[in-house]
Amino acid sequence: MRLVKMIAQVDMDGCIGCKICERICPTLAMEVVEGKAKVNFELCLSCGNCQQRCPEEAIKMVKREKPFTVFVDPEQVDKKEIERICARAKMNPEQLACYCTETRVKEVVAAILLGADTPEKISQKTGIRTGCKVECIQPALRLLEAADIKPERPEGYQWYGRTPTIWDITDEIKELYSGRGFYFDADIELLEKIARQKENHEEGKNE
Amino acid sequence: MNKVLNPIPPRRSQYGVDPGFVKKRMAEYPEMKAIYLRELFPELPQVIFPGENGLDKVRQAVHKELEKVDMSMIGPEDSVNICASHHGFTLGGGEPYAELLKAIKDVIEEKTGTKNIRLRAGVGLRFRETEEYIKSFGLDEYFDGQAKGVAPVDEGIPIETEIGTLYGLKSIYDADWIVHAHNSDVREVHFHRQVDRAVKPFAMSYARIDTRSTYHHNLGPRGANFTARAIFSSDFVQSKFAFTAILEMSPLGIIGVDADNDLYSLNDRITVSGCQNYGKVMTLLGEIDECIVGLDFPCPVPYVFAGGVIYANFVGANVDLFDLDNPLPPYTWYTEAFYDSKGKPLFKETPPPNPAIKMVVHNYAWAGYPSAFFSEHIPTIVVGEEQANLFREDPQNLSYMKHSVIAESLDAAMAFAYRGTGTDKVIVFDGAAGGINVSKSLYELLKVKAPEVKTRVDEKLFPKWLKQRGINPEELNKKNEKCR
Repeated sequence: MRLVKMIAQVDMDGCIGCKICERICPTLAMEVVEGKAKVNFELCLSCGNCQQRCPEEAIKMVKREKPFTVFVDPEQVDKKEIERICARAKMNPEQLACYCTETRVKEVVAAILLGADTPEKISQKTGIRTGCKVECIQPALRLLEAADIKPERPEGYQWYGRTPTIWDITDEIKELYSGRGFYFDADIELLEKIARQKENHEEGKNE
Repeated sequence: MNKVLNPIPPRRSQYGVDPGFVKKRMAEYPEMKAIYLRELFPELPQVIFPGENGLDKVRQAVHKELEKVDMSMIGPEDSVNICASHHGFTLGGGEPYAELLKAIKDVIEEKTGTKNIRLRAGVGLRFRETEEYIKSFGLDEYFDGQAKGVAPVDEGIPIETEIGTLYGLKSIYDADWIVHAHNSDVREVHFHRQVDRAVKPFAMSYARIDTRSTYHHNLGPRGANFTARAIFSSDFVQSKFAFTAILEMSPLGIIGVDADNDLYSLNDRITVSGCQNYGKVMTLLGEIDECIVGLDFPCPVPYVFAGGVIYANFVGANVDLFDLDNPLPPYTWYTEAFYDSKGKPLFKETPPPNPAIKMVVHNYAWAGYPSAFFSEHIPTIVVGEEQANLFREDPQNLSYMKHSVIAESLDAAMAFAYRGTGTDKVIVFDGAAGGINVSKSLYELLKVKAPEVKTRVDEKLFPKWLKQRGINPEELNKKNEKCR
């Protein structure tokens, strides 16, 4: 869930049309038209990426007149489907995918099941990747992959690709480095235990 | 008891409130005293900074250390990127790290003849932070207009590693050679667990979001820093890597400069000194039974520091963060991710945030880092509406103020904290050099506890920490002697 209170505003005199904002916007809200950056009012979720990277400092964040919230209610989709995709991705539906927006994995999966087939569309629907803009691309890509979706990369460099997980570490590498403080197998056990954990802790019934 | 040490002054930054809004510092209260780290642990090494002619000593140490470093691979026409990170600028006010960078440039120029030396300074989650430091320390002029702040959303390049494809920042690697300019402050033990500490920037400030997300979501709490090793060990990075030079840190300040063509050897050295020196202070802070915490430093909430220890690690001080048998620290992003929507841990053995922290008075700390976990789990009073608004409008802190209360002034916040907690023990994370500003009652507690902590760390914990990391200190000493 993401509360959107601000919006990017471009100083047209300062904008040089370099397209950096367009290439890094996680919700595809920026587009350079006739040499000037334009902000899509609906798609801008006020992450501030453009404002932080504009080489001319020609973008500022201003308050929206009417704040709004983006959120996908996981109740809209089949819970079993959410669980199936999460299990394939080795994640717990309840765990956080995005620390800044406090978006849970189950919300991301619900967005995917409702048609979000790229990280950008997931961001537009749930708000993930609009806080720090750094940490939550991999959960999005892993969950898309678990849903058998191969997303198309946008023209910019919003993201490059799904990277290795701990399950990709070979036995050879584990053997080579486990004596150097890397506890791969123990962490796999931990992550799998958490991924399997059911929502019954209110009765104190952790696995 | 000692008079308080000067806290680091507020810094003008887009990530914090205007210094004019910081009307009073916590160290100004008469009940506050400074406990010197050397009173607690006399064996801590001597510092070259802070101190008389400290910056000159840093420069001299760089020149001396770089004498032994091989730079023969760098030709007079070659380009060199000196790669830096924001973190270095938070140490000792930032000048020593700026001096390290300037001195490295000068020595490379002297030894190789090349003039094409650039500064590439990476960031954490505040994408213009190093641009601010570059201006503030005159680095752009010093590097002849070739100093650049780089961010993880900037254009990337694929790097083939032994575990698969990871992504670095194109502008970090756009030179013939790279030089890794870092420091040995342990800082985020909750993330890197003092495993490959010296290598970490290759997966962080020099890396793309794709890679950084790998670290925090894909490789697990004790495998995470392998991301850095994988990138550094890749053929691509090895083909460009020239050498490393670092500020050698202790909780007291800068103890020297270390440099090496072999990053892993240097890494072993700082693993040892980090465990030994920071390990004692962290273990001691874990002995505090109850306290009010003051945040009062120009940095995001988790990174304000006291006695060389960052607040995020005090939040985890109820657990031995160096002990790799503990899978999840009380605070780390993996831990945070594994609390469910009802606020309960999905892994029942998850240790809670340090229960000794009864309340936090947020007098001055920056936004620009996801910090809601702290105010959600620990009662927090934020001083001043300006600061509250800064957090409300920060995309990384959408919920921080949801869980905090606001006081009009520091006086009001402290009065509330004393009444609400019933403790008179206060510790201030204000970056004071050489010691920690604490209340008299906490001063006494730390003095009493320190001798036992020293014995426990020296005799039991330190050997265990090194064994877990595959380091035999005797062999390391022999190896270092050989190098000398």
